Amino acid sequence: MELRGKKAIVTGGVRGLGRAMVETLLASEAAVTVFDLNAAGLDELRKQYNLVNCIECDVSDYEKVTAATSRYHEQFGAVDILINNAGILYSEPLIKITSEGITRHDAAMWNKVLAADLSSVFYMTVCVVEKMITTRTRGIIVNISSVSASGNAGQSAYSAAKAGVNALTAVWAKELGPMGIRVIGVAPGFTDTDSTKEAVNEAALRETVKKVPLRRLGKPAEIADGVISVIRNDFFNGKVLELDGGLTV
Amino acid sequence: MQQVDGKVEYLLSEVLQMPVSEITDDLAMKTVDAWDSLKHMELIVSLEQGFEIQLSFDDIVAMQSVSEIKRVLREKGVTS
Repeated sequence: MELRGKKAIVTGGVRGLGRAMVETLLASEAAVTVFDLNAAGLDELRKQYNLVNCIECDVSDYEKVTAATSRYHEQFGAVDILINNAGILYSEPLIKITSEGITRHDAAMWNKVLAADLSSVFYMTVCVVEKMITTRTRGIIVNISSVSASGNAGQSAYSAAKAGVNALTAVWAKELGPMGIRVIGVAPGFTDTDSTKEAVNEAALRETVKKVPLRRLGKPAEIADGVISVIRNDFFNGKVLELDGGLTV
Repeated sequence: MQQVDGKVEYLLSEVLQMPVSEITDDLAMKTVDAWDSLKHMELIVSLEQGFEIQLSFDDIVAMQSVSEIKRVLREKGVTS
């Protein structure tokens, strides 16, 4: 798909990987809309890039997603590219043993992470694809997964959510392919973003970097470039591109 | 202009995995278990490619029986 003039939505586009994707799409002359719940971040984004359309929305809430995507469709029509990037990077072991005793993984956090990282992908996609089908738009859904989808110790909720995202990528590629809609996954490894630093402590991150054959974290722009390349390649479908510096080899 | 009859039956039989002899005009989505929503999408793409036409969403919704498929195709200029 040629990106110039195409309508793209990036969820969680205010910072980190999402921000890098927004900047790369703008450089390719796509018409970008960001869905994000960070109102202050959206204001700052709007000031920096006046071409970006900003919609404040909690994508883990189905009613809000339905309302926000309806408004978008009324104004712009069907979207060509949806990048499901929003989510929470969260780490907690299933059972914690401390000097004070034993504690379970927080069940509320389990639900919160599943809602933010998995349900949000379903909510955004079902609303956007409905419009693609009624207008016969041959669009693209890009789901941002993670190398944690194969199971990362200490990340029950995050790993389960991302494994679910990979499954949805395969299911939707099969369901929607006949209508000309491609569904793609991109699974970054450990990337140099604020959310990585917030969720993984410095010592653990140093150990992880030692396991990466390239001995460094990924850069957000490198992940964004990967996303753009699979959008451009019209035969890439139903697969998850791993961009992890060789971590999972 | 292309012929509707024969080709529609053949395409339906391929998608629904049914003998051509069983594809009659009164065959409808609601009476054939195999003709579900996913098969319907496959059928639409098969008809578009087979007759080199583009169907609108309204056409897709309307084409829920063999007779309706033929009616829409005739409206698109495909002759019987």
